[in-house]
Amino acid sequence: MTRPFAHVLLRWLLCACALVPHLAGAAPAREEVVVWGLGLGPDSKGLEATIKEFERRNPRYKIRILSMGAGRMNPQKLMTSIVGNVPPDAIHQDRFTIGDWASRGAFQPLDDLMARDRETDPLCPRPEQYYPPTWEEASYGGKLYAIPMASDDRVLYYNKKRFRERAKELRAAGLDPGRAPRTWSEVLAYSKVLTDYNPDGKTLKRAGFLPNFGNSWLYMFAFQMNASFMSPDGKTCTLYSPEAEKALEFIVKGYDQVGGYENAKAFETGFQGGENDPFIIGKVAMKIDGDWILSGLARYAPNLDFGTAPAPVPDDRYTKRGAFANEKDTFVTWVGGFSYAIPKGARNAEGGWAWIKWATSADARLLEMSAQQEWEKRRGRFFVPRIQANIETNERAYKQFKPADPKFADAVRDHIDMMRYARIRPVTFVGQPLWDEHVRALENAALHKKTPAEALKDGQAVVQRELDAVLSAKNYPVIDMGVPGYIGFGAILIGVIAFVVWFRRQRLGPLARSEARWGYLFIAPWLIGFLVFTLGPMVASLFFSFTSYNVLSPARWVGAKNYSDLFAGDWVNVSKALYNTIYLGGIGVPLGVATGLAVALLLNSAVRGMRYYRTLFYMPAIVPTVASAVLWIWLLTSDPNKGLINSVWSNTVGAWFDVAPPGWLNAESWAKPSLILMGVWGAGSGMILWLAGLKGVPTQLYEAASIDGASPRGQFWAITLPQLSPIVFFNLVMGFIGALQEFDRVYVMKPAEGSAGPADSLLVPVYHLFVNGFNYFKMGYASAMAWVIFLIILAMTLVQFKLAPRWVHYEADKA
Amino acid sequence: MSGELLFVIGTLAGWVGGLAAARALVLALRLLLRPVGLDPARTRTSLGVTALVAAAGLLILAATPMAGPAKPPAWWIPLAWIYTPFQGLLVVGSVVMVVLRLCQAFLGLSEFERAERRKAAAAWGLVAVVGVVWFRSSNAPVVVFRGFVPLTPALAGGMVCLVVATMAIMVSAARFAAGRGWSKAIVSHLALMVGSVVFGLPFAWLVITSFKEDRDMASPNGIVWIPKVQIEVPYQDPDDPLLVTEMDGRRVETSIIERRPDGTLELDVIKPGSLRGTTLERRPDQVKEIPKMIPVVSQVRDGVTIVGRVIKELNDGRRRVEITEPAAMKGQVFEANPGDLEPVRRVGLRTQNYTDALEFLPPETNMGLVYLRNTLLLVVLTVLGTLLSSAIVAYAFSRLRFPGKNFLFMVLLSTMMLPGAVTLLPTFLIFRSLGMIDTLYPIWIPAFFASAFNVFLLRQFFMTIPMELEDAAKIDGCSYLRTFWQVMLPQVKPALAVIAIWTFMGAWNNFMGPLIYVNSPENMPISYALQLFQGDRGGEPGLLMAAATMTMLPVLALFFFAQKYFIEGVTLSGLGGR
Repeated sequence: MTRPFAHVLLRWLLCACALVPHLAGAAPAREEVVVWGLGLGPDSKGLEATIKEFERRNPRYKIRILSMGAGRMNPQKLMTSIVGNVPPDAIHQDRFTIGDWASRGAFQPLDDLMARDRETDPLCPRPEQYYPPTWEEASYGGKLYAIPMASDDRVLYYNKKRFRERAKELRAAGLDPGRAPRTWSEVLAYSKVLTDYNPDGKTLKRAGFLPNFGNSWLYMFAFQMNASFMSPDGKTCTLYSPEAEKALEFIVKGYDQVGGYENAKAFETGFQGGENDPFIIGKVAMKIDGDWILSGLARYAPNLDFGTAPAPVPDDRYTKRGAFANEKDTFVTWVGGFSYAIPKGARNAEGGWAWIKWATSADARLLEMSAQQEWEKRRGRFFVPRIQANIETNERAYKQFKPADPKFADAVRDHIDMMRYARIRPVTFVGQPLWDEHVRALENAALHKKTPAEALKDGQAVVQRELDAVLSAKNYPVIDMGVPGYIGFGAILIGVIAFVVWFRRQRLGPLARSEARWGYLFIAPWLIGFLVFTLGPMVASLFFSFTSYNVLSPARWVGAKNYSDLFAGDWVNVSKALYNTIYLGGIGVPLGVATGLAVALLLNSAVRGMRYYRTLFYMPAIVPTVASAVLWIWLLTSDPNKGLINSVWSNTVGAWFDVAPPGWLNAESWAKPSLILMGVWGAGSGMILWLAGLKGVPTQLYEAASIDGASPRGQFWAITLPQLSPIVFFNLVMGFIGALQEFDRVYVMKPAEGSAGPADSLLVPVYHLFVNGFNYFKMGYASAMAWVIFLIILAMTLVQFKLAPRWVHYEADKA
Repeated sequence: MSGELLFVIGTLAGWVGGLAAARALVLALRLLLRPVGLDPARTRTSLGVTALVAAAGLLILAATPMAGPAKPPAWWIPLAWIYTPFQGLLVVGSVVMVVLRLCQAFLGLSEFERAERRKAAAAWGLVAVVGVVWFRSSNAPVVVFRGFVPLTPALAGGMVCLVVATMAIMVSAARFAAGRGWSKAIVSHLALMVGSVVFGLPFAWLVITSFKEDRDMASPNGIVWIPKVQIEVPYQDPDDPLLVTEMDGRRVETSIIERRPDGTLELDVIKPGSLRGTTLERRPDQVKEIPKMIPVVSQVRDGVTIVGRVIKELNDGRRRVEITEPAAMKGQVFEANPGDLEPVRRVGLRTQNYTDALEFLPPETNMGLVYLRNTLLLVVLTVLGTLLSSAIVAYAFSRLRFPGKNFLFMVLLSTMMLPGAVTLLPTFLIFRSLGMIDTLYPIWIPAFFASAFNVFLLRQFFMTIPMELEDAAKIDGCSYLRTFWQVMLPQVKPALAVIAIWTFMGAWNNFMGPLIYVNSPENMPISYALQLFQGDRGGEPGLLMAAATMTMLPVLALFFFAQKYFIEGVTLSGLGGR
């Protein structure tokens, strides 16, 4: 019995209300295969051609691509759909996350399908045709979960023109201007010569090499040192190792050489895309990047004189000395890319598998390329093939679509050749935390906030804690979900019987008894709703808060661990969320209350046309939150040529003080003030209440005060404010409770998907809960969080009732 | 002494001096005009003191060497802004309070009051000390911003005008006793107008931006407030014709990718935006050619303005232009970089942003109509469910007697404070086990189970209805249900209207519900669709603002027509409904 009986009962109940939907629709003539993670558009002629060909070959299927929102890689949507049993049939997913999804049981293993079709279907993927690391990245725990697609490895791009311009200086430094640097010390030496400063001598005009500009991260350099980030058994995180430390030291050195990380980042903020790409216009002479940049170069700078080479490696590696004495491969690179997977519970998994087999086959990839090439040609551009995980596809594609321009052809060749020496990020369920912590370590070390070793060790500790938490979960006892269901059902049954007995023993006359029956019938909607949607969920959530439960696998009893995590392991985030709430509520709420009151005072004077003013002041409060958030994103745009607020700023404050306009939502210290500003704009909602309150102040008080010679200001402080104090107090408390539940604005206005504002500056409790609850379905942890929020609100409400009489003037006190 | 401190002192002295000078000017004018009730002797003394202060302030300003980070213009007004962390503000604030309380302690009327004030001053002094210690230990930096407002003739003239106007109002107010109210009204109106501009400006920007062309979205000369549109003329392109055909029952505009040897055409969809990039095959008799709308541009050549129309965009980005004016050169063709051509524009609204925004929506949503349908469905069902269930529950709690009523009502009241977060996850599991994920059911079903706040509000209303009405119905033999429906419900119509409006707003704005439960575009309501649109077309303010305007309009329309209920509602709840 997997489904709790209470749920069955509930279904029956709702059935009785005739509310259950008709779940089974009529079967369509062609089976729909829903694929997420792809988008059709002006630049996807190739994809369109493969879909058409697939539908021609398999007339029973029709591909449906979810074109908006949900189809774009939104992990929360994908997870919700899998948990909700309405997942897509295939998903185009970043390979690096496959391990994480697989560990949560969200994807189906593909081994059985592979074994079944291997002999019969020529399109069936064959592991031996793939570069081993790409295949490894798509497997987890000995099972295959995805089929690799496009792949991107990294090489060094260098601007030959810049090298020629500085040939003399390069030669003077003992460097060959005719080739790319091969070792770390060489690349830094080249960078030194190729870096130019502005007249102030500090800020960068052009940079030689910014270690992390492009796409290298610590991973690239650490792979070159043969560092690994996880132990082979996957149980220990080895973010810190002497090798990784050396790699990080190299990054730090690279930044220090160009005036520090902050200086480099400030330089980078001026970068643009398209034809003004910093590499194209020579602002950056060398960068390590993936093959995806080639199409941009082909489109915007076909005449740029650039070259590619394997990324420079540690000096010892190049000379095969020290730790690298027995090393075979001189150069190594890092590969990532995409893959297709089938979510658990896919309704048309067979169709999804058919599509995957076709889409990953060499035929389909080549068809896609030729269609895309056709299209580019028509628009006067040339086509550069992308690197694939399939060895044969790469070779055939290179033969067939090799760009005529030798430098582009060489670049593609370099990328293909380097695939043999590619390494992957560790396949683990802590891939995301590992990534986040490695970024944090890189920043902290580059900013000299910590030494490289410290930074890596701190990051390692965080990842290890996450790892231990998941690994130790297996030690906790599994709960049979039927038991709480039976207990709940039993409790309801006992409650009903007890009620009937209790009601029968009431001494009521026949009329009163009938009236009482009607009474119970009339309050039934609330009573049922209370039991089903309030009391039941509350008890359930309290129960879940002591478990570890992700819906897809059985719940385990973990005791108070979720609560201790809140105040220990995850305290960094939780405290940040609470701090942000206190900031938003502590400054925003009083400011909003004051604004509302000020506007109300203005409107309270008997001027003509008050109705119109009132309408205008009230309007911001009734606009839908999402719409006003969208509006404010643009009002707060930091570019003073675009954003209204910064346009005003640069004409007033900026012009007077010579201060650059703030970055608002994109700047850590301005993100919260942005929300507060927006909140003040919407403060009109309180205004009407104030107006009513002001009208309620007895006029005799003012008359008496005027006779005593009190000034208008004195009257405000002595009469108006004390008379309004109950409303002030009520609004402050309600506002703060509202601030604790802030969610919509943060979700819409956060500048980047997956983050909560720059440096988590917009992380609020409910957003944190939402991410844990619906991105990861950590039901237990999210429930614990919900209960803590509830307790805080409860405490505030009680405090309000306790303290209000002391601070607040109530008319009744005088009686 | 540091340059920053000198700058602050100079600025303060300058402002005090300047304001005193303005006041002196006013006083001098008053002496000249002699309004009613003027005490010349006092005014003269006051003028003398003010002039002294002004002279002193301006002298200090002149004598202080003031150097800012930027070079000031010839004439300027100094500005200084001290930026301190909140510990600094605490120190400043408490010092001010100490001084204030000490003054009061000195001037207090009774010994008791003076003692109280002294105590208060001591308390604030303690706060100041704590503040100083805290400030010191935090090592928080204090930044002094030094700035200049250039004193242009326009600014100076404006300031003089303001002084004169203020004075004129004061004088006339003093001259006519009735004018006091008048001048007050002017001041109120001024303040209200400034407020309205601040509050209304975002709306104005929203609406105007939704009608602007892309080129006007960013401008180094500040925000463009007057939208202009490119003038376009129809043109039949012989090389690259614009063809209209049907695709899945929709009218699409296409261009030719290839003419096949067998005569069929391979077409590329240009419009609607949601299908852009799709390929079609059609026979020539299935398509119809329509003229393209091409932009009119101009170029100044040797002092002569040449006007032409762009007949082709070349692959290298250059434009081929056919000259239409002057008449002598008509028909000639030349090629130019887009940067060398000036678009010919007129003041007008680009309504195309609205149609474009709708056309970029996924095809299965039928230009957003499906979103509207979903939202309407949601709103209607939610409002209906809330009204029916809340009213009947409230009626039972207010009028019917049954054992345990008070206890149950207390339970109901206590659920008002329950945050939605607590029940969010289990509720999701309930709807999941019912197979209702990716449908709208989870969003409106709970509305049929009465919400505590509405029940509470309606109960208050039912309580005020005289018992006689109900008794009369009972005597007539009405059942409870009928009494409720025919006698009681009509009595609380205003309250129902208010609840209906609030529920409408709540349902229209509901964002988190659809975000959690809905995946497919065909089940999405507007609020969530707008967020996705923002994610999808985040870089195109014209389309976004058009979409935002369309989302707001129904709510604003409701507000204008039902303003009374909105405002009454807040008042009658006595609490300010949230």
